[in-house]
Amino acid sequence: MKKTLISLALACFVVFLLAYISGGLSLVAEGLLKAGQTAIQVLLLIVAAFLVIGQLQNLISTEMIKSWLQKFSGNKGIFLSSLTGGLFPGGPYIFYPFLAGFKDKGIPFYLLFAFVSGKQTFDFTRLPLEISLLTPWLALVRNVITLPVPFITGLISKRFFPHGVKGILWEEGDQR
Amino acid sequence: MITTTIIFVILALFLFILNRKKGKHWHGLKAGLRQLVVALPVILLALFLAGLLEVLIPEEFIKRWLAQEAGFTGIILGTFGGMIMAFGPYASYPVIATIYGSGAGLGTTLALVAGWTLLGLSRVPFESSFFGFRFSLLRMAVHLPLCIFTGVVGHFIELLFL
Repeated sequence: MKKTLISLALACFVVFLLAYISGGLSLVAEGLLKAGQTAIQVLLLIVAAFLVIGQLQNLISTEMIKSWLQKFSGNKGIFLSSLTGGLFPGGPYIFYPFLAGFKDKGIPFYLLFAFVSGKQTFDFTRLPLEISLLTPWLALVRNVITLPVPFITGLISKRFFPHGVKGILWEEGDQR
Repeated sequence: MITTTIIFVILALFLFILNRKKGKHWHGLKAGLRQLVVALPVILLALFLAGLLEVLIPEEFIKRWLAQEAGFTGIILGTFGGMIMAFGPYASYPVIATIYGSGAGLGTTLALVAGWTLLGLSRVPFESSFFGFRFSLLRMAVHLPLCIFTGVVGHFIELLFL
């Protein structure tokens, strides 16, 4: 988060300078006014979104996901992996080590591929933020259109890369 | 906006009651508030950035490169723009909302979101440290046409229904 804050502050500084050079203080003030108006509009919504996120993260545990992921294979497995990927609680610092733990457990590569895709497409902890910060309409359209993405990704992987990326993690013997 | 807020409050209450059965309701509340405290400075800075971008991006640029009229060019720009956007959701969403609000097409905006979520380059170093660079490359190669497809569908939705 510290890195994000620093890079964002840098971006703000650059854009602030650009605004000042191109339109002077009045343009900067106009930008600040717009930012303030948006902040007032979305602040309450953001607080509510985080309350939802906190409860959701406590509702679904990593253990729950683990047991779902180990139960299925084939197309059914792709469907479930995509879904559980989206439901997985926690950011990349929990997500990738969790997945890496499966490399010796005989989980087919395509299921993990669908899982990663599901996490990136659906991420349920990101959804309240998407609705509150992006607008409910855009969030709805985006999620409906990208709904099949993890399944397609899983199917492509199953058809064309069933053994994963050769020489990295998944070897022939890892197939279920 | 008020309707969405009310829905979220009701949802939070519902989940609070659901978690109460497991005795995790206070933990959930604390976790949510803790994350809010951490994320709030980022969100406020992102809103500041979005506000400045809104007044800075020339209308002509939006019309030519990102609006519905830009068509496929906008979708490609959106996809690769999302790919290089190195911020997390707190910062990215307000910026994307501003770009859309400034007149960018639905196809471009959706390609931007899809590019950011599915192709984000900022995730690659961490991901490849666990699964290797070729895994990240393969993931992005499979996702790239799907991001463009998302943009194309968005473009046609706007063209036909909006």
